[in-house]
Amino acid sequence: MKVAVCVKNAIDETELRTDASGRPLLDGAATKMSTFDKNAVEEGIRIKSSHGGEVVVFTVGGVDAKKTIKEALAMGADRAVHVLAELGTLDSLGTSRALAGAIRNEGTFDVILCSEGSSDTYTGQVPPMLGEVLSLPYVGYARKIEIGAGLAKIERSLEDSVETVECGLPFVASVVSEINEPRYPTLIQIMQASKKPIAEVGAHMLGPAGLSGGNVAVVSMTAQAMERKRVMIEGTAEEAAEKLLQALIAEGVLPR
Amino acid sequence: MTASVWAYSESDSAANELAYVANEIANAVGGQAVTLEMDRTRAGVSSAGEKLVLKSMSAPVDSPELAAEAMSRAAKASNPSVILVAATRQGREVAARLAAKLGAGCISEAFKLSASDRTLVGERSVYSGKLVARMSTPMPCVATVKVGSYPQLKGSEAKVEEMDVGELVPKVKRLHTTRKQVGTVDLKSAKVIVSAGRGVKKKEDLGMVEELAKLLGGALGCSRPLSSDLGWLPEEHHIGLTGVSVRPDLYLAVGISGQLQHIAGIKDSRIIAAVNTDKDAPIFQASDYGVVADLYQLIPALQKLLRARRS
Repeated sequence: MKVAVCVKNAIDETELRTDASGRPLLDGAATKMSTFDKNAVEEGIRIKSSHGGEVVVFTVGGVDAKKTIKEALAMGADRAVHVLAELGTLDSLGTSRALAGAIRNEGTFDVILCSEGSSDTYTGQVPPMLGEVLSLPYVGYARKIEIGAGLAKIERSLEDSVETVECGLPFVASVVSEINEPRYPTLIQIMQASKKPIAEVGAHMLGPAGLSGGNVAVVSMTAQAMERKRVMIEGTAEEAAEKLLQALIAEGVLPR
Repeated sequence: MTASVWAYSESDSAANELAYVANEIANAVGGQAVTLEMDRTRAGVSSAGEKLVLKSMSAPVDSPELAAEAMSRAAKASNPSVILVAATRQGREVAARLAAKLGAGCISEAFKLSASDRTLVGERSVYSGKLVARMSTPMPCVATVKVGSYPQLKGSEAKVEEMDVGELVPKVKRLHTTRKQVGTVDLKSAKVIVSAGRGVKKKEDLGMVEELAKLLGGALGCSRPLSSDLGWLPEEHHIGLTGVSVRPDLYLAVGISGQLQHIAGIKDSRIIAAVNTDKDAPIFQASDYGVVADLYQLIPALQKLLRARRS
């Protein structure tokens, strides 16, 4: 079983700072593996452990993305393909086309996994777009994946229902975080990861469609106004409970 | 040629919201708003302009995969300027597939949209709600609209047209659908929500939090670890970026540290109050009222006061 897992080296939203005018300081901002991608990597490793084969990690990003690749390798992926492109130069369709090109270059995969969306921009567009660009069956928001002979049975979690669907291999799926509990790599695994192969791919190797998208541009980004009162209530539990209740009644959110 | 603005959602309430947005954008570009439906007209769905029903003789158009294919064929035949889809889990898939099929730009989760000069501009939250990004893309284009951002258009009569989109062959087959177990109160419409986080030490203690929610006439929510990692509550209680977005009058967070992804789901609440033992917990920065206290002491104290008020 050949499993491809797509991961994103995302700006760490918890570390992101803005300047005095509310513009984000994106240059040199800290990055990390997009939170939910760990579930996709974990699912890839689990599929390999029950069916054999290999797990290949794919990412599109700048040199900084090596950190995320190494984390996925430490978790148990076998090797990685890194499409070099600066973050923010591609829209979702461009990223999907780049990933699809890189995946095709590596031959045929049985399973291609993504997470439901990235922790930075959370558009959730790349997984279904990847399914389209590769012309493969696509199932979004998978919470359980069972693979049999040439067929996959998948539970997809929607807002108020769960659909059980079936599709042939190969397929593309996005996973939700309840599908598994991602493992933490051990120190030995982290050390071994540095010996695993990482292939670098330039955009020019992906053909004419490589690195072109639907032309969505970011016009501006500004800090979201978060105007909260931030009143701290003190005292013993009884006193604090009383003060809190009075404050909420005064706000009109609890009946008098 | 008149520009047309298409709107689609598999959910009736979201479809009515999109009909409102489509009308606004159609007015801005001097075009016609069209509500799309699959297979048949749905009685609960309004339309600002006309209704276009997409049909296939080969298969019911009842999945995001087939809806996207049907819409792309219809779009290639009649060239709409903008296609709006509600940002539900299915809608995000429909929109992304459609954009890929048409090679069009897709703005996602917009809470505000405007159109001018053959360009669509959308505003959306990024970095777990820390920033607002303004995105633009040339028409024709696709956009998903964050559900609950606009009013719903109600009760207009529409001219209905039908289009046969030809043979559809699904790659994914639906075997069966089960309804999720949903709590007695709907988090999206709850006026008061009491939400539990990692500060709750064991599953049995959730009863105490739920009782507080009941005393306040509200619903029980939770942060991601409780539903996802620990599995103490069904996923439907999970509030945050990847869960439900809520906007109650009162959001009371107990034992929740306040990860950005959680804040992203509660930022539209009218009043946010938080109880946490850690005075440096980020939840206090996002709260109107904060109490540094042990929830195991504060909740019983609150319950006592609330019971006394009732009697």
